Amino acid sequence: MKLEIEVTGAKILLTLPLGITVTETQVNMWLVMLGIAVFCIWLTHGLKVRPTSKRQIVAEYIVKTAENFVTSNMGQKWKWFVPYVAALFSLAMFSSLISLLGMYPPTSDLNTTAGWAIMTFILITFYKIKTNGAFGYAKSLTEPIFIMTPMNILGEFATPLSMAFRMFGNVASGTVVSALLYAALASLNNAVFGWLPGILGEAAEKLPILQLGLPAVLSLYFDVFSGVLQAFIFCMLTMLYIKSAAEVED
Amino acid sequence: MLNVVIASATLDFLSVNVWHILMAVGNLLILVLILKKFLFKPVQNILRQREEEINKTYSDADKALSDAENEKAEYQKKLSAAKSEADSLISSASERAKAESAEIIQNARAEAERRRKNADEDIELARRKAVEEMRDELGEMVIDLATKVVGKEIDPKTHEELINEAIESLGE
Repeated sequence: MKLEIEVTGAKILLTLPLGITVTETQVNMWLVMLGIAVFCIWLTHGLKVRPTSKRQIVAEYIVKTAENFVTSNMGQKWKWFVPYVAALFSLAMFSSLISLLGMYPPTSDLNTTAGWAIMTFILITFYKIKTNGAFGYAKSLTEPIFIMTPMNILGEFATPLSMAFRMFGNVASGTVVSALLYAALASLNNAVFGWLPGILGEAAEKLPILQLGLPAVLSLYFDVFSGVLQAFIFCMLTMLYIKSAAEVED
Repeated sequence: MLNVVIASATLDFLSVNVWHILMAVGNLLILVLILKKFLFKPVQNILRQREEEINKTYSDADKALSDAENEKAEYQKKLSAAKSEADSLISSASERAKAESAEIIQNARAEAERRRKNADEDIELARRKAVEEMRDELGEMVIDLATKVVGKEIDPKTHEELINEAIESLGE
């Protein structure tokens, strides 16, 4: 018996001129964004100075938690950065959690995580140049000795690259492992129940008896735990890199 | 043989597409705006309003307290002023009463003195009158007595003169 598993990326749903394609990644991300937008509008409608609804308490709690998350890592003057981190965290987290609904998680597409990592890279470089000046930034690449310059430039690009692949790898590998496990359990199912004679055997082969249970536990790790954790790590790294980029080195 | 094919037209598992990268960035930035508009701005507005309301409540309470203190001080001032005024009124009234009573007593004393004097005069007058009457009566009695003793009518006029002389010589 031979197991053949094809692991692919997102389905292409629409092809526009100029070679622009719209895939499951984009559509699912839009659905996530729509869900977040609707949730926010529902949370914040009819806010009162003296809160009377649980909705408002939840909305205020979310805002304060996000503000606290950012300001405790970056300081009070980075309060304006809160919406970006909140958007990054919520989009990354729900894009991973969407796989619980059997949908394609946008974070298992390298383009998604690469885009977010490039944003972080742009912000890091912007703040390095803003803090040290263009010359100071260029000079910092030649330190401690001139020979190190190629290494330093590589190091600059390593940051977004590692961030993009960390998240992509965690989410995509979960999908791959899940697919492998399903295939393995299906063949095991065949092997265990396939020997039953006649119509009984055929029915047992089609019933996914062994596929129950174990994939759910695995999905709890790959989808829920890993998805939330990777979103958290991505936000943490973004904040810490940008903060250290904006700090004046003495 | 088992063949797991996810879809017919798909991207490669590891593919890089500039448009998709740009869309991911754009989606993220759009979500930033969505969160700003629908979550952060309304909630922060409400939080700021609440802070303002609380600050206003505190300042109102402070103002009311200081107003009450001021009013209390004013009332105390007024009260003490009224008290001192009442004290001065009472003391002036009692002084006047004292003066009046002294005057009354003096008047009464003078009146009493005057009455005593009058009474003394009256007594003196009455005494004199009585002496006069007694003298008259005595004279008449003596004349009667003498008439009875002599048994004969004496000329009363002559005798009266005689007797008066006698009495006068007897002294007062």
